[in-house]
Amino acid sequence: MSIRIVELHKAFGPKEVLRGFSLEVRVGATVAIVGPSGSGKSVLLKHLVGLMRPDMGSVLVDGESVPDLGRQDLARFRRRVGYVFQFAALFDSMTIAENVGMGLKRLPGWSADRIDHRVQECLSLVDLEGMGERYPSQLSGGQKKRAGLARAIAASPKYLLYDEPTTGLDPVTTSVIDELILRMRDELGVTGLVVTHDMTSAFRVADRITLLHEGKARFTGTPAEVRAARDDVLRGFVEGDPGLYYGLQGRGDHGP
Amino acid sequence: MLDFVVRPFASAGRGTVRILGSVGRAWILFAGTAGALRHPGIWGPQLVPQLARIGVASVPIALFIATFTGIVMSLQASYTLTGTIPLYFVGALVGKTMMLELGPVLTGLTLAGRVGANISAELGTMRVTEQVDALETLAYDPLAYLVVPRVIAGIVMFPIVVLLAMTVGIVSGWLTALQLLDMSSPEFVKGLRLLFEPWDVWFAVIKSVSFGAIVTGVGCFYGLQTERGAEGVGRSATQTVVIASMIILCLDAFWAATLL
Amino acid sequence: MDFKDGGIMDRRREIMVGLVVVLGIAVGVVGTIWLQDGWGRDRVTIRAASTGVGQLVEGASVKFRGVAVGRVESVAVVPSGEAVLIDMSVRPDLIIPTDAAVLIAPESMFGDWQAEIIRRDDYDTHPYLDYPGEGVLPGVALPDFSRLTATADEIAQNLTTISERFEVAFTEETAQNLGRAIDNLGEVSDRFSEIINQQAERFDALAEGVDASTRELGAAARAARVSFERVDAIVADGQVQKLFADAGAGVENLRNLTETMEASLGDLQTAARQADATFARLDALLVAVQDEDGSLGRLLADPTLAEGALDAVAQMRDLLRDIQQNPRRYLSFSIF
Ligand SMILES: Nc1ncnc2c1ncn2[C@@H]1O[C@H](COP(=O)(O)OP(=O)(O)OP(=O)(O)O)[C@@H](O)[C@H]1O
Ligand SMILES: [Mg+2]
Repeated sequence: MSIRIVELHKAFGPKEVLRGFSLEVRVGATVAIVGPSGSGKSVLLKHLVGLMRPDMGSVLVDGESVPDLGRQDLARFRRRVGYVFQFAALFDSMTIAENVGMGLKRLPGWSADRIDHRVQECLSLVDLEGMGERYPSQLSGGQKKRAGLARAIAASPKYLLYDEPTTGLDPVTTSVIDELILRMRDELGVTGLVVTHDMTSAFRVADRITLLHEGKARFTGTPAEVRAARDDVLRGFVEGDPGLYYGLQGRGDHGP
Repeated sequence: MLDFVVRPFASAGRGTVRILGSVGRAWILFAGTAGALRHPGIWGPQLVPQLARIGVASVPIALFIATFTGIVMSLQASYTLTGTIPLYFVGALVGKTMMLELGPVLTGLTLAGRVGANISAELGTMRVTEQVDALETLAYDPLAYLVVPRVIAGIVMFPIVVLLAMTVGIVSGWLTALQLLDMSSPEFVKGLRLLFEPWDVWFAVIKSVSFGAIVTGVGCFYGLQTERGAEGVGRSATQTVVIASMIILCLDAFWAATLL
Repeated sequence: MDFKDGGIMDRRREIMVGLVVVLGIAVGVVGTIWLQDGWGRDRVTIRAASTGVGQLVEGASVKFRGVAVGRVESVAVVPSGEAVLIDMSVRPDLIIPTDAAVLIAPESMFGDWQAEIIRRDDYDTHPYLDYPGEGVLPGVALPDFSRLTATADEIAQNLTTISERFEVAFTEETAQNLGRAIDNLGEVSDRFSEIINQQAERFDALAEGVDASTRELGAAARAARVSFERVDAIVADGQVQKLFADAGAGVENLRNLTETMEASLGDLQTAARQADATFARLDALLVAVQDEDGSLGRLLADPTLAEGALDAVAQMRDLLRDIQQNPRRYLSFSIF
């Protein structure tokens, strides 16, 4: 069991975002987390790298209880994890190449040349060859997103957490990214967690899909199981039918 | 019913909790920053850029202010000293006030605006755009990467900038005395030396070291706890300038009481 | 790509930082040394001895013909307690006169004291201490301005005492002696007034107070003198009482004047050691003679009394001459 989240609770003041979310991801598997905007997907991912601490419940990644890690251990743990931020979060005072190489500089045994080489490699993986000398403000939204992805994969982490890696990209680029996620899994054996709104993408990259609904995992299953599921909420979300998604539960707290 | 009785206590309580919370967070930041000193590999490479940004780039504004302070001091001193007191006291007055008070404090307050607000806005923007989180996921301790080099740069460069400002202020006061007050150089220098003590310079250095630590530290503190987007960044910058200026003035009084 | 260190920009930034840091430190260090007036020049040490040093401290300036030539290195009392040794470092090229002496006096209106190297002949009235030892210059500490007023106060005090004793016995000769003393006092106050007038432009407001005081001093002295001039006519007459009332009023005026001077100058100390000594001697004599043979007439005829008064006046003259030469020493202000 490589990622194991049990009964995770997280509230911001009176607002309970996660209310007992549980999920298991096996080594080498990729799980997609879907759910409406504001349901707490990004919050969930942040718990996995210790950017947020749970109010209750446990988060085990690679056998380590993330909330209990000290500063040093956390830093060491994070070298094994890549995080693709929803809004890229590129360091805007650095060039794209410097951004991508940032994590590598912290690793032992990486010479400037080797970093340089690896940066070019990662940039070409996300179709950004030749953009290395630009600054984030000189890139489009989709290009920034891909640069963020390149930064996350640069150090070849064992775990990759993608926060909406394809949102806002054109269909062709989306396919390229999806391919990349699959390659990460298949060639490097990366364990992945992909947060997305895009069901097509989810079906394409995920071994299993989890619907985050009202702070809990409403449904978890393979893409085939999701397609076949009879659960109204899941069907409402997959088919994009607000009637189904909200209708049966009366007043939901997630407005349209 | 008794709401109006209870309310003041409630808000006093809330205020206390808020202040204690701030003090606590400041302490955590301080302890964390001290601890982060152990990672020179992270903050080392950032040091020169910060020395340049915080120190070198502050020199022009500091010298500009010092120049005019020197001129004004000189003119006002001569205005005050008419009659009874010999004119060479202009030199004593300009030198002493420049070194003991105006050099460090005016520079400190100016840099609270220039450097403090700058740091706070930069770190605030990094915070709200998740760049600080991104640093953490790349295994960088934000305190080591962002705070330590800035605070060190403040501690190192403030005294340097203040020394330069003091010198320029005194020289501009001197030139003013020569040009506008019909004083002679020996006269001015006589006044300058009359009350000079080497301790004055140390005093200025000690003061500006503390101001450097405060301005950069407060900037980092408010910058890193920025919330809620552009408005939050603006608020952090404002708070930094206000709080840093207040602390500078309190510290100024404190040093005057303890060191003089 | 920026992973190989030492880009042109980085190098330029490092140079700028280095420049500013070095410049800042250099300015601080050089400025401090320069302001301290210690360019690391060669210095020689000269030593002087005196019975006291006033408020002379380490680091005070040493002057020769009004020019700063060095600093006081140390001030230490000798183990036997009979002298204070003052070590001064001065420019090595300075040729000190063979009959040099050291005059210790206030330097500025801030109450800083200085040691001035002088030719003894030029100021020969002072009680220099000649301390044995190779090359030890004789020295003396001048009373400061506060002493002047204290001296005036002493004079007034003693005039009162004398006047009171006059009521017991009174001779013509005494009256003449005293008249002379008071004459001198009047003259002194006139000269004081004159000096103050000369300096009036410089001292403006301050001078007004002092001027008024000295005018009072003059008036008091003249009043006293008039009183004593009448002595011829009134010897053994019943008018003696009235005369003393006049003299008493004069003395009262003198004391008021002293207080005014003190108030207008501020920050004055109390004692005038020499004046003390003079008048203590006088007082002792008065008491002794009165007690021992009851002949006050003889006592008063004794020239020492008048001499004592004249001594006090001479001291005031010294001070006045010093005031005339170095008016700035005698103003005490505090700005900081
Ligand atoms: N630091 C925070 N402080 C307060 N509330 C927060 C914070 N972070 C997130 N929230 C709240 O938690 C809820 C979930 O936020 P989250 O960012 O996880 O949503 P999301 O599922 O990622 O949505 P989207 O798909 O739009 O990115 C939101 O209602 C948000 O307001
Ligand atoms: Mg999100």
